[in-house]
Amino acid sequence: MEQWLTFARGPLFIATFSLMVLGLLRLAFMQLWEMVKAWLRMEDHRLPWWKNIKELLAWSFPITQIPRVKPVIGVVSLFFHAALLATPLLLAEHVMLWRRTLGFGWPSLPRVLADGLTLIFMVAVLLLLGIRTFHRPSRAISRFWDYALLLVLLLPFVSGYLAMHPEFLIFRIKTMLLLHVLSAELVFVLIPFSKLSHAALFPFGRLSSDFYWRLPADGPDRVARALHGEEVKA
Amino acid sequence: MREQPVVDWIFHEPPPVIAKTPVKAPRAHYHIIDPPKEGRVAMFLRAFAAVLKYSSYKGMLDAYSRLSTGCARCSAACHIYRATGDDKDIPCYRTYLLLDIYRRYFTLEGQVKSLVLGGRELCEADIDLLAESFYRCNACRRCSLECPMGIDQGLMTHLGRYILSEMGIVPKALRLSTIREMESQTHTTTAMPAPALEDFIVFLEKELLRLTGRPIRFPVDEPGREFIFFAPASDFIMEAETLMGHAALMHAVGYQDRWTIGTHDCDAMNFGLYYNDWVLDHVVCQLCGEADRLRAQKIMIGECGHAARTAKEFVPVFGRDLKRPAISSIEFAAQMLQAGKLKLDPRAIQQRVTYHDPCNIARSGWIIEQPRQLLRAMAPNFVEMTPHGRWNYCCGGGGGAASIDEIHDYRMEIAGKVKAEQLKATGADLVVAPCAECKKQLRELVKHYSLNMEVVGLNDLLLKAIRWE
Repeated sequence: MEQWLTFARGPLFIATFSLMVLGLLRLAFMQLWEMVKAWLRMEDHRLPWWKNIKELLAWSFPITQIPRVKPVIGVVSLFFHAALLATPLLLAEHVMLWRRTLGFGWPSLPRVLADGLTLIFMVAVLLLLGIRTFHRPSRAISRFWDYALLLVLLLPFVSGYLAMHPEFLIFRIKTMLLLHVLSAELVFVLIPFSKLSHAALFPFGRLSSDFYWRLPADGPDRVARALHGEEVKA
Repeated sequence: MREQPVVDWIFHEPPPVIAKTPVKAPRAHYHIIDPPKEGRVAMFLRAFAAVLKYSSYKGMLDAYSRLSTGCARCSAACHIYRATGDDKDIPCYRTYLLLDIYRRYFTLEGQVKSLVLGGRELCEADIDLLAESFYRCNACRRCSLECPMGIDQGLMTHLGRYILSEMGIVPKALRLSTIREMESQTHTTTAMPAPALEDFIVFLEKELLRLTGRPIRFPVDEPGREFIFFAPASDFIMEAETLMGHAALMHAVGYQDRWTIGTHDCDAMNFGLYYNDWVLDHVVCQLCGEADRLRAQKIMIGECGHAARTAKEFVPVFGRDLKRPAISSIEFAAQMLQAGKLKLDPRAIQQRVTYHDPCNIARSGWIIEQPRQLLRAMAPNFVEMTPHGRWNYCCGGGGGAASIDEIHDYRMEIAGKVKAEQLKATGADLVVAPCAECKKQLRELVKHYSLNMEVVGLNDLLLKAIRWE
């Protein structure tokens, strides 16, 4: 067991974490490349940058956006995201691991708060699952992975919480820790290959839509010629 | 409400019944000239591939297929979904139709997956679903305001319609209008002959003299003017007051010798925005060509939402070496009001007035305040709709729907339902809608829902409110 844990915390962690980082960088680079191509093709380079950046900021901290429509889903989703980001980054034990590896760390959350956030996250996941299942428009556009990813995200939180609370332990602590590390690594692997990649691609939606509205001047003609030959008619 | 579609679907077979909809509702079944009959799947994929190869849409599809998280927030923003409650009217549902095809056929990942796991192939019924779905959407882009990821569903609708049009699936009304606009003598969607245009202008000038007591002219084919004016063609048939208002405005601010109308092309409409980039390109070229023929410095677009947006966004793209600045007449009037050149009687319009924001000019935040400045300066009883401005609801005629008469029942019962409720709640006597398509749709709505109000243009009111020195 000890060896497995060492392996999971060592080489496997480095491999999966690098896979996540490199995978996200690849996706971001591909998006940038498409934007560069669109930029080179487009005739009119005046883009509403400032408007888009303002909107991006507004949606990065969507407090003002939430009340407009579906406020309940908005609030649940906000707590979900906040807890999902804060707990892994600011948990004292995680910060300690980072300090050991990187040589520096950052302030961590008090234990009570971290526990609270973990519980909030678990509740938020269950609520989101409920929304996906029972809220008609959500169910209509939900696919297998929309449900599955929520459950996968739940795993490291549940196992981490149990590992931190010996009173609830169902397995030995080492087993629990191993499960915790492995499930987190599963999340790392899935991030660049699923919709979780919006963690890195989030800015591209708002910043790039205007790129694609600026059509390339010769594009339509070339499409028409490729499909209908030289004799193109309305 | 009729249960059956108003007209028959002109495909070779009736569309499949896709699912039971919660509301028994009219469908958006439009006429098509020479609809493709066989091999439509292959045609669709071929057109899709060509569009991906020669345009920039691939980046958008890549981004959106990774970004869409399926939060369903867009469903709350959509007036169509609000009216039907049908899953297929959720904006993201529609976007997924196209994204799924993209992922399956045009990404390595999708091709490998379908090779290994099998997977669903595109079928004829899907083409019918796409053909209706993209024309149920009004392309008003209200949902994109609510998308946390910033997915522009309007752009997806634009692309979907573009691909369909390249395989011959275009509403007959839009296609015929485009053919008339490209081939008629005056290059108008109504194919109005030049003598009719000239006669109409003489009539307008006489009418203006009678109304204002001033010799207000419509300069025609005058070269070297600052502005060349393009109005939506329907104004020349149905909106005499809007046109007269425009001429009166130009006269009142001392611009009577600084603008002109061209007889080789006076139509601002560009249905290319609704269904095909090639048409968009060529109609813009036509517009710029006329401006160049008359050596006008700037393009001015009359009261028309999509035409103003087309000129502003696509003249710089497709105008090539003939491009020049484009301005909306509403912007111009507001500038003149601010500069103190336009004097309005603050009590001219006593009725209760409300303003409908056309999506194409308001959604991006471009023309929202300008018309309100004008209205506040002449109508003391101005009331807002809820919501308004960028968040305004589409009239239900957006994306060219207003021009498609065979989907009248769909526009009334579904697409225009939310707007009708909004109108009713204002209790207004006058609805100002500075857009040819919105005007047509709103008039039909007012009649359909027996609302006691009149639909007018902004210039119609200016004509009454201008204070002549």
